[in-house]
Amino acid sequence: MKRIYLLPLAALTLVACSNDDDTVNPEPQPQVVTAPATYNFTRNGESTVSFSGQTTRILMSEEIIDAMKDFDNATETSLFNMFANENNPFEDPDLNASSKSVKSKTAASEDYFSNNATQSTAIKAEFEGWLSDQVNEVFPAVDTEAAPGVAGQIADGSSTRYVNAQGLEYNQAFNKSLIGGLMTDQALNNYLSTAVLDAGSNRDDNDNGVTAEDKAYTTMEHKWDEAYGYLYGTSANKANPNPTIGQDDSFLNKYIGRVEGDDDFAGIAADIFNAFKLGRAAIEAKNYEVRDEQAEIIKEKVSQVIGVRAVYYLQQGKNSLDQTDPDYGPAFHDLSEGYGFIYSLQFTRKPGTTEPYFSRAEVNNFISQLSEGNGFWEVTPATLDAISEAIAERFPFTVDQAKE
Amino acid sequence: MRKIVSFIFLSLLLGFTGCDSDDGGTTPPEETNFDRAPLLANWADNIIIPAYTDFATSLQTLEQAVTDFNNDPTIDNLNTLRGSWLSSYTIWQRVSMFETGPAETVNLRLNLNIYPADAGLIEDNILAGSYNLDLPSNRVAKGFPALDYLLFGLGADDTSILAKYQNSEGQGHRDYLVAIITDMLLLTNEVKTEWETGYRDTFVSNSGSSATASVDRYVNDFIFYYEKHLRAGKMGIPLGVFSGNVLPENIEAYYNGNVSKQLFLEGLNAVQDFFNGKAYNSNSEGESLKSYLNTLNTVKDGVDLSTIINNQLNEARSRVQNLQSFKLELENNPPTAMLQAYDEVQKVVPLLKVDMVSAMSISIDFVDADGD
Repeated sequence: MKRIYLLPLAALTLVACSNDDDTVNPEPQPQVVTAPATYNFTRNGESTVSFSGQTTRILMSEEIIDAMKDFDNATETSLFNMFANENNPFEDPDLNASSKSVKSKTAASEDYFSNNATQSTAIKAEFEGWLSDQVNEVFPAVDTEAAPGVAGQIADGSSTRYVNAQGLEYNQAFNKSLIGGLMTDQALNNYLSTAVLDAGSNRDDNDNGVTAEDKAYTTMEHKWDEAYGYLYGTSANKANPNPTIGQDDSFLNKYIGRVEGDDDFAGIAADIFNAFKLGRAAIEAKNYEVRDEQAEIIKEKVSQVIGVRAVYYLQQGKNSLDQTDPDYGPAFHDLSEGYGFIYSLQFTRKPGTTEPYFSRAEVNNFISQLSEGNGFWEVTPATLDAISEAIAERFPFTVDQAKE
Repeated sequence: MRKIVSFIFLSLLLGFTGCDSDDGGTTPPEETNFDRAPLLANWADNIIIPAYTDFATSLQTLEQAVTDFNNDPTIDNLNTLRGSWLSSYTIWQRVSMFETGPAETVNLRLNLNIYPADAGLIEDNILAGSYNLDLPSNRVAKGFPALDYLLFGLGADDTSILAKYQNSEGQGHRDYLVAIITDMLLLTNEVKTEWETGYRDTFVSNSGSSATASVDRYVNDFIFYYEKHLRAGKMGIPLGVFSGNVLPENIEAYYNGNVSKQLFLEGLNAVQDFFNGKAYNSNSEGESLKSYLNTLNTVKDGVDLSTIINNQLNEARSRVQNLQSFKLELENNPPTAMLQAYDEVQKVVPLLKVDMVSAMSISIDFVDADGD
């Protein structure tokens, strides 16, 4: 359990105003923020934790990535409908009944996109492009063997992968890019942003215990929970998610689990969860300094997860390609995942700044290096190493640490 | 159909944890010279090539049985065909571990024996009447597991199975049997011919010790086979060791139902015979992993490592022999007896993967894929 001791501002003010040396009371009491053991918070006996909208979007995302591989039934229209939640596109009726959609929250954070509708629109169009291309390029080639410049299927161990003419699996590109474009962007650049946490009268309301209409939570509490929900919204135990971290979705939760499983990064899952708990407790304690310190920790660690996995997959892909008989199937699968994680880098958040670790232009440059000519069929180990090094250089880890 | 296959990869995280804790007991390799060339020659000339030859012959017998059955789909011919299938499937357990060189190039194991087969896809193919068995997606619709389905799983009894092959309506099923055996023979002959016409010399002459030398590479393939295909594929995955859920339909030869244990034991015998350098179908032993370890004088806790390995393989065998069929064992909840036998099978892994390779200064070159 972490405790953070701070001098309350009010106490300092008192000291400054006091001109009576004999006052017995100027000794400031440290204000303690104590994180609970689990992510449980209540007001008057009622839980104040809520993130059902995030759970819903994760479940929608799961259905979309499954549908991208449903060669017999999916169409461009059905996939677009799922992305935008129009015309009851989901198998799960609860998702159809929801007013939420994945598309509306993709590349839609306050910090990065509120003043950049152009870029937000362009990114949404890229996600839709992967849906279209899957249906128009890959579906017709379902019974074709892939070759340089030819879309089709390719063996990866005992699995079969379906790739475009450059070896890219669009479903992997979509899946891994959504980790950045939806989950990370919303959590780091929207809900953990002071612009959102402190919007309007949020701070006054939180200070005075004014809850949102018909809710047990203050708006600030709820915003924090919504960030939490993009990581743990489908966890087996949502209040204590780390025992199953990595097994609860196909997105951010999964890859926090994977990075946690690498000895070089063990502890990262606890660091992230503890920061969420302590930050939420700080909101209850009206201690915004502690809150913001925790938000910074989460931004740093979640960004690191994306950086580590980008490098990991590039290196795995390189190992499969860099031999006399290149093992194209496994390589393409890894590089397709890496492609998505690289794409996701533009949604990361450097702590203490309003910048991602890699700009959109830098990401596009990496992507174009991977896509030149016949793409993964031709990309060289040297290129994969160079991109890996360039990514690792901005994070506090090395390529060697990330690659296994 | 694609969800089945990820188990193999998913499976592998757990098994490794036990491998790391075992240092200290093994004596370090001494400055002993072991000539690896005769070892490689014994493997190639007395084990690998004879095994492929016998296997290819068994497939020809199987092909003939298909022809006879298709010409006259009677119960007698069906039973003959089933017998040929089992005989060939048993010999397959003697070559499955040699997924190196030519077999690795054509992915022989993945083309002949991904199980469980995808019965729905097989039926779709037969119904469509045209199919390309070279496509990766059809690997779950061909090979021994597809034959298992076609010979044992098409109906509740022999009469209803036979009916699928009879008359003009049976043409699709008859054709599919031919397509499968043709594919199996083609791939197998390709591998066998490659060994006979050039790869043998490449393999034997690459007798140094480096990550790309034949011994280093093949020992990795051998351990990989033991760990992933024998231990995990035939026992661990159906037992639910990696998934937490018993998966009875994931046993080898599921539709036959009675031979999974026998196929496992043949695979285990093949592993042990290979370890001891025993010539194919013979009791004469040549240079081997055992003689290599003995030359290095590798001792663990005062006992020859080769003896420890053989003892543990024997223990694993006797535990598995004492089981009922895997199908029946998996009906127990939990399948304790089979789990206990599995534990004995598992105990061989660190002996090979840690103790043996460290004595031989061989690095393990395979790591776990991450499962998606």
